[in-house]
Amino acid sequence: MESWEAGPTAYAGPASPVRPGRTELGALAASGASASLWLDVLDATIRTCQEHGRTDLVSWLWQRRAQLLHPHLRVLVVGAAKQGKSQLINALINAPVCVVGEDRGTTVPTVVRHTEAPTAQLIVRAAPDTGWTPDAARQDSIPLALDRLADALTETVAVQPAATVERLYADVGVPRALLASGLQLIDTPPLPGLPAVAPAAVGRLRELATDGRADLVVFVCEAGRELSDAEVDVLADLARLFPSLVVAYTKTDYAAHWRRDLEASRMRLVQAGVPATVVPLSATLRARAVQTGDAALNGESGFPALISLLEATVAAKPDRLARATVGVLGRTVTERLAVTLRDDLDAQRAESETSHAVKRLHETQRRMDELRKCATRWQTRLSDEVGDLMSDIEHDLRERTRAVIARADETFTEADPARVWDEFEQWLREALLEVAQTSLGWLGDRAEWLARAVAAEFPADLGDVLPNWVPGVQGDASDRVTELESPPVERFTMTQKLFTGLRGSYGGVLMVGLVTSLTGMSLINPISLSGGAVFGGKSIREEGKSLLRRRQAVARATVRQHVDEIYVGLAKDAKDSVRRIQRALRDHFTAVTEDLQEAIIESLRSAKADAEREAAVRDGRARRTEQELIRLAGLQKQALGLLAGPG
Amino acid sequence: MTGTELAGRLLDDAAQVFRGHERAETWLRRHRERLAEPLRLAIVGPPQSGKSTLVNALIGEDVAPVVVDGAAGAPVWFQDGPRPSAQIFPAAWAGPMQRANGPGHTVAGPGVHAMGGVSRVVVDWPCRALRHTRLLDAAGVDGDGEVPADAMLYVTRHLGDDLTALEQVQSGRGVGALPVHVMVVLSRADETAAGRPDAILSARQIARRRRREPRVAALCQDVVAVSGQLALAGRSLREEEYAAVAAVAARPRADADAALLSTDRFLAAGFPEGLLRQFGLGGVRLAVTLVRSGARSRAALGAQLVRQSGLTELQASVSDLFTARRDALKARTALIALDRLLRAESRPQAAHLVAELDRLVAGAHEFRELRLLAALRAGRVTLPAELAVEARRLAGGEGTAHAERLGLPAESSPEQLWPVAEDAAGRWHQQTRAATSAAGRRAAEVVLRSCTAILNDLG
Ligand SMILES: Nc1nc2c(ncn2[C@@H]2O[C@H](COP(=O)(O)OP(=O)(O)OP(=O)(O)O)[C@@H](O)[C@H]2O)c(=O)[nH]1
Ligand SMILES: Nc1nc2c(ncn2[C@@H]2O[C@H](COP(=O)(O)OP(=O)(O)OP(=O)(O)O)[C@@H](O)[C@H]2O)c(=O)[nH]1
Ligand SMILES: [Mg+2]
Ligand SMILES: [Mg+2]
Repeated sequence: MESWEAGPTAYAGPASPVRPGRTELGALAASGASASLWLDVLDATIRTCQEHGRTDLVSWLWQRRAQLLHPHLRVLVVGAAKQGKSQLINALINAPVCVVGEDRGTTVPTVVRHTEAPTAQLIVRAAPDTGWTPDAARQDSIPLALDRLADALTETVAVQPAATVERLYADVGVPRALLASGLQLIDTPPLPGLPAVAPAAVGRLRELATDGRADLVVFVCEAGRELSDAEVDVLADLARLFPSLVVAYTKTDYAAHWRRDLEASRMRLVQAGVPATVVPLSATLRARAVQTGDAALNGESGFPALISLLEATVAAKPDRLARATVGVLGRTVTERLAVTLRDDLDAQRAESETSHAVKRLHETQRRMDELRKCATRWQTRLSDEVGDLMSDIEHDLRERTRAVIARADETFTEADPARVWDEFEQWLREALLEVAQTSLGWLGDRAEWLARAVAAEFPADLGDVLPNWVPGVQGDASDRVTELESPPVERFTMTQKLFTGLRGSYGGVLMVGLVTSLTGMSLINPISLSGGAVFGGKSIREEGKSLLRRRQAVARATVRQHVDEIYVGLAKDAKDSVRRIQRALRDHFTAVTEDLQEAIIESLRSAKADAEREAAVRDGRARRTEQELIRLAGLQKQALGLLAGPG
Repeated sequence: MTGTELAGRLLDDAAQVFRGHERAETWLRRHRERLAEPLRLAIVGPPQSGKSTLVNALIGEDVAPVVVDGAAGAPVWFQDGPRPSAQIFPAAWAGPMQRANGPGHTVAGPGVHAMGGVSRVVVDWPCRALRHTRLLDAAGVDGDGEVPADAMLYVTRHLGDDLTALEQVQSGRGVGALPVHVMVVLSRADETAAGRPDAILSARQIARRRRREPRVAALCQDVVAVSGQLALAGRSLREEEYAAVAAVAARPRADADAALLSTDRFLAAGFPEGLLRQFGLGGVRLAVTLVRSGARSRAALGAQLVRQSGLTELQASVSDLFTARRDALKARTALIALDRLLRAESRPQAAHLVAELDRLVAGAHEFRELRLLAALRAGRVTLPAELAVEARRLAGGEGTAHAERLGLPAESSPEQLWPVAEDAAGRWHQQTRAATSAAGRRAAEVVLRSCTAILNDLG
């Protein structure tokens, strides 16, 4: 196709008629029925972004939407420094509108579009992110001399304040049939870092594509080398935003083995999964061909192929291109949203491991186990201690009563029972009461200690488990200590409540203390001890020795029997008391255990419920997230459908 | 006492101080030895900028790149040696090289591939140009991390992004602060302006403009445009290549020009592909133009190509700014190294070393002279013609001996030198007052300082 127009920026030939169906209205009308499908998908995508709270994506998609409905095809020409970007545009429209040269490169984006008469101006945009479209807000517009456009542009840019440089762009209008179809070409400053490193270029290119409101990107790479890794990375990123890319492989006139490098570059793109059309070009040959009217040379320049590609894309914009664009956008956006959701899901899963309710559940279960162990422990302890106490108290009583018997024997070896009986009987009663009192008192102390020992088997964190009271030693000691002949009327009762106010009075008495005080305890109090001496004084009587001896023997036997009987009674009382104490403590601690168990079971129940509720909430959320993912997949399928769609 | 002698003495002192500290001793010994060795010139720059080709152009043969099997990208030093061979470090392997399929050589063989972790390669190559200067072919601006170079050619196709990279190399303290060791080479000059025959001419104009840009001037001594490919083609031109060029030139002009429009057309016209590989399309265009305008022999065409390629200018620049001042540059490397050591390993006995180093660095008049010479070359300072010539001479631009500086015969006695030096000092003292621009005044101050240095030395 010979589509070149002579003359620099001059208007040449009849006005290129704007093709019917390519006006704004026409474009909308033409898109009519088929437009609705991609618009539906795009709107669904926008809605989804809104639901996900991604306002950034929403506004960006709205921009793309407006651009897709716009009849113009905006072609962004980008690439590393000095690859021939500007020259490519100049050669394409055969007009020196873009700054070219080794010396000064392109410093501001230049939009080249169709106008009936040539115009050129430098525009200061209102803000750095305002688009480079004629309808966008501008702060200033400085006309540029048309006959020396490149110089004028360089000079004007040079005198702008540094702060405004990133808000500048040049707007050039030339009368060209190629452009009249709605094609707009945008020359850009070189991408930073390329061809060596990608990251800076990726970011810059995204900005350029957004601000330039690009529909199609032409990536320029000079022949004589392959696309670098960084360039392939940049293109791969671009392929997420545009359905098809054009790689202009320039300067083919100069490089010797450009076909080999071009093939290698194509392979790299295929391997990276980047859909791109690679077009070999030579601006130099094109310029020369236009100058000399050499159609063959024009063919060799590769430009006719680029022109028909661009024209086909202009024609395809309202339908095929828009559809494919929405397809790519839908895919990219849904992927991006899905990544967020999946991260969410992972976070939830991680959260379930560390949730408060679950932690509480585990803790309660642990306490339950502990309590169970403790129940067996205290029961064993109680029975062990009770056994010990039984034998200790029995032993204690026996020792004390034996001491009384020994005293009695002693007394009746010396004294005559007939004379001292009344006094003796009095002493014996007191001595036995003393024994009962001391032993049973001691039993009370031991019982108190026992309660503490059993309580100590409970874990400290369960709190205070001591009983408020322990049953006293029951039974009336004076009932047991009966008169040997004529019992005294005076009664001594030991019935009392032991351990009342136990908690307050407990002063750290230890078992050891009790035991030592037990072994060192005097059997009979000091007053009673003097009794023997008193009786001893009355023992010398004028009486027949044998009679005396017999009386004495009878008295000793009677006393021994009497004391033994009393001993048996006291021992029974003591054992009964111990049993009562045992029962009381068992009941108490069983009750405590049950209370605790109940409390733990209750909190276990509530912890379980909490954990279950939480899990349910999480599951619900996960299910919703999964449903959302499925919904996204549906949307993505629709988008992919647009990509695969007919034609 | 020259810079190297001072630096040598300082290194000896330091070796005393650091006796027993093995690493420091080795480090100091190595720098001490290097003072007696040839200048080390690093050829660095971004990928594919033509570094290896430039190394070849400077050597005059197709040597670089030397690629070690399994360790592409390792820095390679080239030094003069009796026969071509390669040593690989740190493994200390030594052996022969093989010619590569493309340009340059490869080092391969059992043991090489499995070596791994190659830090540097040293290539011996018999070559006169390497006798005074060792060349480093390396990727990054840092060159060979282990063995610092004394000077650097920063090779780039167009000085854009890389200005920032260059700015970061300047170490910013004392001797490191002045970029007396950096020269920018605008490479592949034959591709400029779409490779027209006047390509190198426009490249040269660009270089001239760029070297006057304040930001660029602050980073380097000079900016030179070169086509390494054409220079190498010219230096290694063979008869059959000359014949092939002559055959193109012999065609009717219209035919030849049509064939030179593109590489496709050139090959389609039946011209040899080897010519294209050796010269590039722009090179063939230039060579044909040169033959047409009178280069009628291999030698004539070769010489013309070398001159046109910009290599001659580059060599002159390297010679004036680097090779002639190799003592100062080597001393500078040693001082920077010593400075680094003293800062890393401070010890009380080294206090006097620090003081002396600071004094030397502050004195660094030689480096100011180098900056002045570069500024005069680049036209960053303009003096009236005869003054400019004298300034250049006094600042050591034609040799650093007193007699050379004063423009007197080498065998002149101190009695003959003194009055001339005194005279010059007076004249330049005047000039510090008379200068109309700040740059002019600073230049006069440097020249005056050179004069008083001569007087101090004589008296
Ligand atoms: N041989 C040849 N040279 C070309 C061709 N296109 C551009 N050039 C040369 O490449 C150099 C750079 O061209 P530009 O068009 O300014 O490149 P650019 O990519 O716009 O450069 P920046 O704006 O600085 O990034 C110029 O010297 C052009 O003459 C071509 O097709 N063939
Ligand atoms: N036209 C032209 N091409 C050159 C010139 N110098 C190098 N080239 C080409 O540029 C490419 C890279 O050249 P090299 O010399 O290998 O460059 P390099 O900087 O050493 O490359 P790396 O070591 O890969 O970074 C090769 O294809 C060379 O043919 C030149 O002066 N003119
Ligand atoms: Mg440009
Ligand atoms: Mg190389």
